[in-house]
Amino acid sequence: MKPRSLWVFHLNTGACNGCDIEILDVLTPYHDIERLGVKLVPTPRHAHALLVTGPLTRQAYYSARKAYSAMPSKPRIVIAIGTCACSGGIFYNSYAIRRESDRLSLEYPRKGGTSEFLPVDIYVPGCPPRPEEILYGIALLRGLVKKKMGGEHYTVKELVLPRSQFNAWVELLLRAKIRREIGYFDGYALLKDFMELVEKSNSPEELGKMVELMKKRIKDSRLRYGLEMLYKHYIGVVRMYESILAEKKVVLGVSK
Amino acid sequence: MTKSYPFEPEEAPPEYRGLPRINPLLCIGCGACTNVCPPNAVIRIDDCSSGTRRIVLDVGRCIRCARCEESCPTGAIRLTREFEAATDDRNDHVEVVEMKLAKCRNCGSFTDYTERQVHKVLSIIPPGILDFERIRDKLPLCSECKRSLTIINASRVGGEWR
Repeated sequence: MKPRSLWVFHLNTGACNGCDIEILDVLTPYHDIERLGVKLVPTPRHAHALLVTGPLTRQAYYSARKAYSAMPSKPRIVIAIGTCACSGGIFYNSYAIRRESDRLSLEYPRKGGTSEFLPVDIYVPGCPPRPEEILYGIALLRGLVKKKMGGEHYTVKELVLPRSQFNAWVELLLRAKIRREIGYFDGYALLKDFMELVEKSNSPEELGKMVELMKKRIKDSRLRYGLEMLYKHYIGVVRMYESILAEKKVVLGVSK
Repeated sequence: MTKSYPFEPEEAPPEYRGLPRINPLLCIGCGACTNVCPPNAVIRIDDCSSGTRRIVLDVGRCIRCARCEESCPTGAIRLTREFEAATDDRNDHVEVVEMKLAKCRNCGSFTDYTERQVHKVLSIIPPGILDFERIRDKLPLCSECKRSLTIINASRVGGEWR
């Protein structure tokens, strides 16, 4: 039986309020979950579904159990909103959380959270989930959309190895540098473009000209700074490599 | 205006940190992501009897902090812009990458690193600095054999230090 319109009761079992604010967002006219027939009710006795947020603290356990048993026996749907309710989330190992499974085991799917005590119908992970994600979960429960996730198990034998040995080494060193300069998000994307330039160019001087050309195209001054630092570090790495090679030649010459 | 989201597709903004995904062609199984993951959403399971290592990612535990993307040395794990992860079965959230552990060339037992890690390490050594053949002979050794080899080499009188 697919539910047509849901009357939901919002139950917070120790969440950080992030998910609760997203639930409020969903009720606003902009996202308007009432299009899908959802209505917020003030008591679990009127509700078809519980919107559970939070990792289930020891204190909240008893009231959550009471709220669940106070619901009408049919359909008694539980919707776990947020990563905490799905599996314990960031609080999975906290002393304040009620858990019966082993806290530091290597099982999968990972256990914990509200889902250990209540039979959950829909899991909506996210920390917090977007309002669209909650809308999608409710629509999935009502059968309006199709499920997009599916478990994956890869046993691929082939491995993609990097470009040339020297460039791969340089990339690994520059990766650590650019992360400190402008952060991983823009930095790694910039590094990818920069390494393409390195592969195209034949000498550091030619690379310098290409970097100058690329700088004119970029409007963000932070990215321009990052590119400048990348070029500087690249020259440093190449000089270091040359000096190591020269030292090695000297040592070999002596021993021979 | 009210959005008509579930009936029309919607794209997340370009900076959005959505669901993480592992690219199985790039993953080397080093476990850097498992060390940094705050809620232990990515775990590493070694099976020494059959010689496999599993890197398991559970999206239902992930808090999308992108520490794994930051620490991954090959760029295998990335946060995509997808966000529709709701499901009625927790098994749908799990992503497993399985790979082989390297075999010790001295005693034949499985080491604590994968074959892919050995390939990767050999592929990033800059040419001309180290002697390749010597490294390749030494590399797949388990920790105990490595320890005993070190002692043997150190106690060799007048011999060459390796």
